[in-house]
Amino acid sequence: MFFLQALLNGILVGGFYGFMILGFSIIWGVMGIINLAHGEYVMMGAYFAWVMFRQFGIDPLVSAVLVFPIMFVVGYVLQWLVINRVVERPHLISLLLSFGLSISIANIYKLIYTADYRSVTVAYAGSFEVAGLTFPTVKTIIFFAGLLIMAGLHLFLQRTRLGKSIRAAAQNKEAAKIVGIDIHRVYAITAGICVGLTAMAGAMIAPIQPIFPFMGPLFTVRAFAITALGGLGRIPGALLGGLLLGIVETLLTIYVPGTGAKVGTAVSFLILVLVLVTRPQGLLKGLRPVEEGA
Amino acid sequence: MRKLTFGLLIMLAVLLVACPSPATPTPEPQAETGGQAEQEADAPKDQMEEMEAKVIRIGAAVSETGKYAREGQDTRQGYILWQEWVNNEYGGIKVGDERYKVELIIYDDESNPDTVTRLTEKLITEDKVQFLLGPYSSGLTKAASAISEKYKIIMVEGNGASDSLFERGFKYLFAVLTPASRYTESGLKALADAGAKSVVIAYKDSPFPKSVAQGAEKWAQEYGMDVLAVESYPADIKDATALMTKFKDLNPDVFVGAGHFVDGVLLARNAEEVDFAPKAFMLTVGPSNPEFVQELGKTADYIIGPTQWERTMAWQGQYFGTPEEYAKRYEERWNEPPTYQAAESTATALALQIAIEEAGSLDSDAVRQALLDMDVMTFYGPIKFDETGKNVAKAMGAIQIQDGQIVVVAPEEAAVADLIYPMTPWNER
Repeated sequence: MFFLQALLNGILVGGFYGFMILGFSIIWGVMGIINLAHGEYVMMGAYFAWVMFRQFGIDPLVSAVLVFPIMFVVGYVLQWLVINRVVERPHLISLLLSFGLSISIANIYKLIYTADYRSVTVAYAGSFEVAGLTFPTVKTIIFFAGLLIMAGLHLFLQRTRLGKSIRAAAQNKEAAKIVGIDIHRVYAITAGICVGLTAMAGAMIAPIQPIFPFMGPLFTVRAFAITALGGLGRIPGALLGGLLLGIVETLLTIYVPGTGAKVGTAVSFLILVLVLVTRPQGLLKGLRPVEEGA
Repeated sequence: MRKLTFGLLIMLAVLLVACPSPATPTPEPQAETGGQAEQEADAPKDQMEEMEAKVIRIGAAVSETGKYAREGQDTRQGYILWQEWVNNEYGGIKVGDERYKVELIIYDDESNPDTVTRLTEKLITEDKVQFLLGPYSSGLTKAASAISEKYKIIMVEGNGASDSLFERGFKYLFAVLTPASRYTESGLKALADAGAKSVVIAYKDSPFPKSVAQGAEKWAQEYGMDVLAVESYPADIKDATALMTKFKDLNPDVFVGAGHFVDGVLLARNAEEVDFAPKAFMLTVGPSNPEFVQELGKTADYIIGPTQWERTMAWQGQYFGTPEEYAKRYEERWNEPPTYQAAESTATALALQIAIEEAGSLDSDAVRQALLDMDVMTFYGPIKFDETGKNVAKAMGAIQIQDGQIVVVAPEEAAVADLIYPMTPWNER
């Protein structure tokens, strides 16, 4: 029973990781850009939820829906104005650019909201019990919302014309151009969707994570590890990578006495190294190998 | 044209990287010995010192960005409050018959041990500060004090509580705050008196929380409680539900979480998430801060925390008066109530000032002797250093959040309310 509870926690944490890093994975897979500002988009979503909650008493789940279109526009415009100009340059340039973006966003937020830690207290912050297992309410909601969104996004990429152009752009940029796909527009839409989803995840974690301007980098590090683990740009890969990391970390934390939490982190990165050595394309074959053009 | 725009964008990107921390100097190739750098910087600085005589230059590297941005702000505000008071109201530090104005040079260490080391070196060799005030957190203090010790510059600090700071045989490091191992002393005693029998401890793997945890284990055993588990967690933890699930299974009376403000929020949230509700929930940094209560709402209720200082305490100092008078002055200047981190930072600077005045000299060794001889009462409490540089005169208090109010519950002589034990479980609030 206790093992089941531990496993459940691992799965929920994994789902939370998977949803959180989805946008990072797709941007990397489609454009080959390692977006170091990813964590800052999570932070922006979380602040949006906090402001809406403090000012208007709006629930973070509602904010999560509201924040998507706003951040879609932000992502689209940033991609159109700035990132599209360096997307075909060597990796280092886009890395530098997104690093600059991440620092400036964090510091602008510090100027606006100060460095104070924020949190959103919702009525359903606790847990509920089903069949003797304790389900953390917020994480359970995030888990199922995440699954739903991943499924929707998967269908969108597989079935719609726009989704197919996004995949085409990821697979072969030149060929996509030849058949008349406006690469830069496709990139901008992809960025819009990814930034929107990331901020959405950020809004949903507002009740369970401390919110502050410098919360981003830790999410970016996790996103990097999980994406490389699961396969770039693959939605099932993001979920699988997240679940693997979540379950390994949780079980080791619980069953190794004294330093379990640290062993968990160490082992999950050890797995990453092993996967990169033996399967550079990730557990599920990603849209591109990790080292391409680096 | 396209190339030009592109070039401009790259420049913008580079600027964006550099901009947010204008106070951070670009790393310069420095001579191994440091002595050489000192001589090179001598000439222009000497002229400046002649022009602006009777100024004491005091330096500090304090976090303005990074994970300690919030606590760093309290520290900085505490220092500046003292500087403005000493220059404008008090008339400057008395050294013999002369009055010295204070020039305070503060840089942003970005919450990064490498940066704090580099900036401390810069403060000493380039800015020629005569004394240093500490950064925020034990980890950064550990890094910074290694540099100040090398140059025999006195560093007085009020935000590095780890006992390990004072086990290195350093001669020029002094701390006004109560060391970390005593943080949980009065709180655990009060809980043992209330009937608590068992304890679990979680600590972040960095110097200060580790000292707190070792102390908590010691005090728990001393007061007759069983320690069921001691768990460490990495500094970059993003989710602690696994730890909380483990603790829930052990069913202890008391939980002690040793970390900083951000971990405190995370641990409380995660405990609530998996319904781990011991009879008492104690966190080291956070509960004594009004913002913790404001942001966590009903989740914050009944949480117990140690406190270095509260405005309701009954001290009476020669400068700044009572804690309440200090708090009012602080509110007037910064439009927010002082945290204990702010108060201890002001006390840090005040201790240095008193030592300089007692020594009647700016010489490091004379001031060091004055610090060792010091035995004063301040608005922050008594200050008396042992030979390792720790303040041994001041005990730690404990607060509990009761109905959204932060009230002192231990030790008995400082308490304004009774400890509520056991706490109401999260899901019954």
